[in-house]
Amino acid sequence: MPGLRDLQAAFSAYLKGEDRPDLADAVVADTIAASARLRIHRHHVAESLATALGATFSTVQAIVGDQFFRAMARTFVVQDLPRQPVMAEYGAGFPAFVGGYGPATSLPYLADMARLDWALNMAFHAPLEGRLTAPDLTGLPAERLLGQKLALAAGSTLVWSPYPVDRIWQASRPGATVGAVSLEEGPAAVIVLRRPEEATFVSLSLSEAAFVRALDGGASLEEGAEAAFSVDPAFDLASSFARLLALEAFAALQQIC
Amino acid sequence: MRPVAGIGLRSPHLAEIARDTPATGFLEIHAENYLARSPAVLTVERLRRDYEFSVHAVGLSLGSIDGPDEAHLGRVAALIERLQPALVSDHLSWSIAGGRYFNDLLPLPYTEEALEVVVRNVDRLQRRLGRQVLIENPSCYLSYAHSTLSEPEFLSELVCRSGCGLLLDANNIVVTAHNLRLDAVAWLDGLPASAIGEYHLAGHAVNDADGEPILIDDHGSRVSQGVWAFFDEIVRRYGPRPTLVEWDTDLPALDILLDEAARAARALKVDAEADARAA
Amino acid sequence: MNTTRFAIASALAAALVLPAAAQAQGNMEKCYGIAKAGKNDCQTAKSSCAGTSKTDAQPDAWISVPKGACDKIIGGKLTAS
Repeated sequence: MPGLRDLQAAFSAYLKGEDRPDLADAVVADTIAASARLRIHRHHVAESLATALGATFSTVQAIVGDQFFRAMARTFVVQDLPRQPVMAEYGAGFPAFVGGYGPATSLPYLADMARLDWALNMAFHAPLEGRLTAPDLTGLPAERLLGQKLALAAGSTLVWSPYPVDRIWQASRPGATVGAVSLEEGPAAVIVLRRPEEATFVSLSLSEAAFVRALDGGASLEEGAEAAFSVDPAFDLASSFARLLALEAFAALQQIC
Repeated sequence: MRPVAGIGLRSPHLAEIARDTPATGFLEIHAENYLARSPAVLTVERLRRDYEFSVHAVGLSLGSIDGPDEAHLGRVAALIERLQPALVSDHLSWSIAGGRYFNDLLPLPYTEEALEVVVRNVDRLQRRLGRQVLIENPSCYLSYAHSTLSEPEFLSELVCRSGCGLLLDANNIVVTAHNLRLDAVAWLDGLPASAIGEYHLAGHAVNDADGEPILIDDHGSRVSQGVWAFFDEIVRRYGPRPTLVEWDTDLPALDILLDEAARAARALKVDAEADARAA
Repeated sequence: MNTTRFAIASALAAALVLPAAAQAQGNMEKCYGIAKAGKNDCQTAKSSCAGTSKTDAQPDAWISVPKGACDKIIGGKLTAS
């Protein structure tokens, strides 16, 4: 008679794919074998977690189709089971897994689409409070403004890819009007944002993306501007900064007191 | 809460319910879907003006030898503090071991050791929340050779030792009884009537295991005729309680779900009227 | 303060006082508003196919060809190499 700790350890190992005859021995068998009864749970774990990943990574699923996605997701599930019960928070490791998944190597952009899906998911579940607006910075002396560091708001994520992820995302929508997308359309950057009723993303120019990436990395506004100018000397700092503030992409300043 | 019939609130219906606020007895949410500060949770907070709420947790894993995850328990407690629901519940099952969550309501052996573990975990949950919780009978697909108690005996003893209430899921009893070759009506014998705080109803699927039919609790159809008849028997024996219709797989239009809840309300009322006539 | 620093400081300050209309325009353009209805519900329901298959998972090779919107995405490294 196994104790509860050993039983739950054996059941866990079985659900992860191990062969556990000791567990089957503990289960009552009749006209339905113990193995057939246990399999109901193993199937449910794999299927329900693959379904949860499909809801979070809906663009990836649309791109590769349900069958391919489920096979890929089930492979991930047994390697990286959730650590907590909130399904919307499961799958942080999935984009990296997709990037290394052999059967998907012919779709080199797929991991970046997974990153975009994940960022949208995180944005949807991020708090809306604590965002920086233009008046928060008004009146700062020029030296302070140049040295000011800004963190991205909760749910704001820069996704920068060698592939046109924004166009691919559009083309992958159900009923998309966008036709074929060529990977030759080249690199793209988007910023994912929490909005009051949804999560969304906005395309950035590569100089804007350099500005955001520098700030996200801890640079000052001056250093961020220089990073953007090094990508494009014609970078329109005033318009871009105004736009990012209007989008409430940055976190409110920490209170100094 | 009065013995009314309500529906499980699922996110595809959220906008429609917020817009039309259709008449139904109460709404039940799964705690795990509202732990982050998403637009959905703000909508639910607004809906508290129009509906009574029940918070049904799916992931506390009250049967785990190591107990519920402390961080998760804290998040669920914070949600319940904010929403102040009329009812709070989770299941007689386990879903976490070795720090991994299986997203399944896994079966417990009904032994004295397991009983002590569940009593300890339910006690910890009730202390943390400062209120009684209801524990739901799971749908079972297997049983363990070393179980020494029946499921209703285990639940009755749990009520006695922890002071928790019971959430009787009529569909789960029918599914379990079929799959484990038990008598569903006999399953109902001797439950602590005053501890029963809620009923659940849902549809199930008939599937195949080793060439034999097995019932799967997929919440993917209308409540079956057999379960309605069994529900009548439950209400005859234990009286009306707040009753919830759950639907998850192949979620239908809201009207169909409301229609199922209306039928459950009639089943509760028929019994009350019979009582009144008898008195 | 040198010319470049002065230009950056001026542009940053200008951004703070751009008219709301201009900001709102920036707000809308290039914006793929959607997006996420929070549809990933935690459930207590069993997968309805949980009892059927005798095998545990399909091997990758069995379905190694994606069949989705990817046929709309062409070129890049695939054809260039």
